[in-house]
Amino acid sequence: MSQRFAELGNKLIRDAKRTQNLPDLPSYQSETVRATVREVRDLDRELEHLKAPFAGSFDPSSEPAIACAMLVNHLSMRRNKRCLLAYHRVRSDRLEEMCWKGVDILNSEQGADGRGRGENEAQGGSKSSLSPEEEEYVRQYEDLLAAYKGQWTDIDLTGSLEPPKDLFIDVRVLKNAGEIQTEYGAINLTKNSQFYVRQGDVDRLIQQGYLQRLGWT
Amino acid sequence: MPADYTSPTLLLTTAQKIPTTLSLTHPSLSPLNANTPPVPGTKLDLPLWLAEMLAVSKPAGPESEALATVDMPQALGGRVMNALRAGGGSVELRGQAMEWYGLAASMLELFEDEEVASVVCDTFKTRALLISDRAQNTKTAQQQGGDGSDFMGGLDETERARNYPLPLIPSSLRITTSRHFIQIPTIYAGRSYFRALLVPHPCEYSGSNECG
Repeated sequence: MSQRFAELGNKLIRDAKRTQNLPDLPSYQSETVRATVREVRDLDRELEHLKAPFAGSFDPSSEPAIACAMLVNHLSMRRNKRCLLAYHRVRSDRLEEMCWKGVDILNSEQGADGRGRGENEAQGGSKSSLSPEEEEYVRQYEDLLAAYKGQWTDIDLTGSLEPPKDLFIDVRVLKNAGEIQTEYGAINLTKNSQFYVRQGDVDRLIQQGYLQRLGWT
Repeated sequence: MPADYTSPTLLLTTAQKIPTTLSLTHPSLSPLNANTPPVPGTKLDLPLWLAEMLAVSKPAGPESEALATVDMPQALGGRVMNALRAGGGSVELRGQAMEWYGLAASMLELFEDEEVASVVCDTFKTRALLISDRAQNTKTAQQQGGDGSDFMGGLDETERARNYPLPLIPSSLRITTSRHFIQIPTIYAGRSYFRALLVPHPCEYSGSNECG
């Protein structure tokens, strides 16, 4: 039976608006999305039910009350569709933005999954904030991006747009990452240690989140 | 699909409720009316996207009456208007409606009320000055006590947005790395158009957490 006319769609929109202001992507609301799609199907069924007695020749001026009901149903369906599209668009825009910034979305998701699944096995469900379709989307988008970048090997299209202020930067290590090789020798990355290193060497690590820059921001 | 179609801000604006009087009804509309079949003349608070369409739909032909009539919501009603005429900063717009300016723009497209239009424009300008003042003098505002946070807490969503326009105050202009083109809305006879001004957004240099 038709629900309260696009209340669920509203919920999705509020989540989308919130997502725009958050640094991380919140989890995919598959329940709400499914319920919204269900609502659209229910509305469609009601519309068919209203249309059935007229067998194709419906004159709105003779039955304005039924026309009103049909209009409300139709508008609610369109509204739900719009809400669904907006929700998915905000999320996919955010995912694309993260791809361009070089954030390793899939690996960090799977990392969270690995730790989470052990704890949550009793409750079921993974901790990933992406739906399976979104993960597939990200995978294909990253492939597309890599193919695009591959055409110009001299420039890193996903690199930082800010020119470096100095050759060396101060960094602090956020996670243990073992040893890395620089032209000045090997550096052992243990948590909370600070180093003064060449920017070019550590750019990738900063993007992946192992190191944190100090000073400029 | 134009960008507006999927914009959450616009969707939230049109989700706001306005008082509607249904003139023609049907039992399938009961979920709107607490599950009782509505009679003609029932007053309900319907979301704008629904109410707007019902107000302009005349299934029985152009001479008949529309499916519903809408009234100005309370957020743009007499009391609020009077309070705003007295002082733009005196009303907590957020308490009236989350997207107050968006609501005003939509209602003015339906009603073309010049009084309301001019009050809304003046309110915007007054509040813009107050916001930029607060943002540029956060220390003084904090010292003066809770009054500052009351006003900032009552800002509606457009005023809190990152791309919110600020009036240009030449004496305190600072060059920041990003410049935004600012627009002061002018709502005239139901159609809104904007003039452009150049202003930096306060949140970038004041470090204030009150915006966005």
